[in-house]
Amino acid sequence: MPPRIQSRRVSNTLLPYLSSSSSSPASHSSLLPSRQFSSTPAQQTKLRREMFAWLNTTGATLKHHVPGETNYVTGVVRNVMSDGGSKLPFPNNPTFFSETVLSEELRNEIYARVTQQKKSIRAVSVDMGIDMNRVAAVVRLVELEKRQRAQGKPLALPYARAIHEMVPVTPLSQDGERQTYHEPINDLPAHPSTGAQIFYPVPESRKFTRVDAGRVFSGAPAMDHETAAKISHPSDLAEGIMEKPNSIEWVGKGDNARQVLQPADVRIPHPQLVNFEIDRINEPLARRERAERQAQRIKKQDELEQKRRERAQARREDRTTKVEPADSRFEYHFHDTVVSKETTGPHGKGHLAPGRRYGVPSEDRKRGIIKIPTRVGA
Amino acid sequence: MRNRATTSLSRGKIRQSWSKYNLYNLSRFRSPPTANRTFFQQKWSAKAISRAYHGEQVREGQWKRMFSKRIRSVVPMNVADLAADDGSLVSSGRGLGLDSEDKKSRTNVRPMPFTQMAFAPLERRLDVAIFRALFASSARQARQFVIHGAVTVNGQKMRQPSYLLNPGDLFQVDPERVMYATGAPKNKFERREARLERKKEEKEEEATAEEGEAKEAKPEAEAKEGEKENTRETLKALMAQAKNAMSHEVLPAKRKQELRGFQKAVRRVMSRAGSSSVLTDSLENQFSELTLLLKGKRADKKDSKKSGKERRATKDEDSAAAETAEVDAAPGEALSEAFEKAAKGEEVDTSELTDDEFDVLKRALTQMRDNPIDNSKPYATPWRPRDYMSAFTFIPRYLEVNQNICAAVYLRHPVARPGAAEVPTPFGETVSTPAYGWYLKRRW
Repeated sequence: MPPRIQSRRVSNTLLPYLSSSSSSPASHSSLLPSRQFSSTPAQQTKLRREMFAWLNTTGATLKHHVPGETNYVTGVVRNVMSDGGSKLPFPNNPTFFSETVLSEELRNEIYARVTQQKKSIRAVSVDMGIDMNRVAAVVRLVELEKRQRAQGKPLALPYARAIHEMVPVTPLSQDGERQTYHEPINDLPAHPSTGAQIFYPVPESRKFTRVDAGRVFSGAPAMDHETAAKISHPSDLAEGIMEKPNSIEWVGKGDNARQVLQPADVRIPHPQLVNFEIDRINEPLARRERAERQAQRIKKQDELEQKRRERAQARREDRTTKVEPADSRFEYHFHDTVVSKETTGPHGKGHLAPGRRYGVPSEDRKRGIIKIPTRVGA
Repeated sequence: MRNRATTSLSRGKIRQSWSKYNLYNLSRFRSPPTANRTFFQQKWSAKAISRAYHGEQVREGQWKRMFSKRIRSVVPMNVADLAADDGSLVSSGRGLGLDSEDKKSRTNVRPMPFTQMAFAPLERRLDVAIFRALFASSARQARQFVIHGAVTVNGQKMRQPSYLLNPGDLFQVDPERVMYATGAPKNKFERREARLERKKEEKEEEATAEEGEAKEAKPEAEAKEGEKENTRETLKALMAQAKNAMSHEVLPAKRKQELRGFQKAVRRVMSRAGSSSVLTDSLENQFSELTLLLKGKRADKKDSKKSGKERRATKDEDSAAAETAEVDAAPGEALSEAFEKAAKGEEVDTSELTDDEFDVLKRALTQMRDNPIDNSKPYATPWRPRDYMSAFTFIPRYLEVNQNICAAVYLRHPVARPGAAEVPTPFGETVSTPAYGWYLKRRW
């Protein structure tokens, strides 16, 4: 890639709208407040003197930013002169990084792909290397922005411009270039049951895979040979579970009941990418075919998810009774109360079931019981 | 609730705030010494230091109930690794001495900074999330915004700063408040200007109320005359403001130069304002006309330029840097001319401008529209970021923020990854580990 010349931004600093870039911070001779009607010098504690001395010398660069560069204390304290500034906002904490945010153009591109080109969130996520939750959030936010612009509501445009000058940004790729990935998209959440250290002896003759390890962690008995022989690679399980999420085996009884821990291939957000890689290893030449198969996989997955959503919606609607009285502004939704074993629990004292029941204290005066809303409906 | 979150220099506590005192404290912070101190003392001071930053607005008992020893973490998976190996490679050959170099290198991953996530439950709070999304200059201010009703969650007003956001919640702050919180404050001269304007408006209102009925039949022409006068006055006010800013504020020399240039431009426009009819239009109309006009010109210019493009392409690379520097230093004669014309709403001749200058002109015009001078606002106009703001600007990954409308989505709870923790904390593991130990039910 040829060296890029950074586009110069006009920052919104002061009156002249022609100002080129923000401010070279000038060293101020005196920032110390002076008393207007007194000839005696203002009383300064030693600490204040030291602080203003620091702000005027070392800290002077922190006062104003340079567009396109971060400007953190770490850069000043450690005297880092890397390109784009230091990535650590806190000098004492090397584990927290200031990570990139999506640029305005990238956000609009995501929105266009989802709403106009009708691509699925999953497909956009894979193409651009952005988490699926984030893609959905971006679509929501851009939609809201468009509505507010149409309504003529106030916007914070100079503020937005300034923030994008100060924070590292993932830009939209130019035509014909690959989009730089924004974040890792296949994050595997650490399951609590994997926290235990287990000594599990396995005969050397036995093939011990991720599927077996998951069963050991959840305390399930080993698979019989027939089912084990059917699984050539752990990712084979992913499709079946996607179609029937309830098919995951349960172990344990009562409160201790838990689902068998599935291998990473099933639990990552984009299991279809593993199948794609396996295809690539098995048939390195058939490139087009692989891409087609991958597209089909994504399509199928999206359809399954869509169906599941619709089913859940239908179930919710079955449970509610809607009443709209004549000439009323409102539609009333009623849910039947459910007092069952699931809601009251085995002792009949569970808090999920509504209403006063004998022996179930009302907890709204109790310490630590949250009384403010815990959920806001969209 | 009384604000006990003072940033005193003697204590040197770090707060969730953008003040310069806090910045100084942050720069000189050292982890407390551990030599000659009991374990209890170490934990106590670590807890005190970290609680001064994390949720000092939350009572200790409240926080203790929120604390959870379970810390969320994720491992980014490499799909190529998953596809190549079904896990049997790692478990095979233990007794045969088949441990290869390859296997050892795979175990060389960075450790998870679990204890850096000790205060993760607090990041769910609405006031903290607003501060993290850079909508307020301190967590206290964010709290005030919520209490004063400037914040909505999923479109509904939410007045509880302690509301715990759920993944997928969209919160939005009133953009005016955000501009106030993050913008530079007015100086006393700007405040005076605003006061005078307000008084003048009041007087005018009274006058119109008195004369309202009598003068209803006045001709339209007079009104137009008045408008022209008004634009003249706004221009005058602009110039006065530039002067004010220059004379009373300690400004970098470069800014002063720019200001002087601006004053000159305004004066020139004013001298011809009598003849120009366009000035009487509203700024909005002017802007839309202008951009249309520029677009047209641009298209013409591109056609004529196409032949010369190849020749330029080679030259561009080395000359571009020099060119940009030049434009940076002093906006060319042609550029300022074009800007002046644009401001007056005349025909703009862009053929003399280079590409860079053209871009600068366009951006300048956009900014003139987006960031106008308005004394009625509670912050200095045109808006500029407050001093020392850039040292605190970072947006953690668990939030997706749209700054234009000052809205953000809480995507998920913060997580730890190998070598990185998502909870923004100014302390290293020497502080966070004893603090985490302090809050465990069975204390270390």
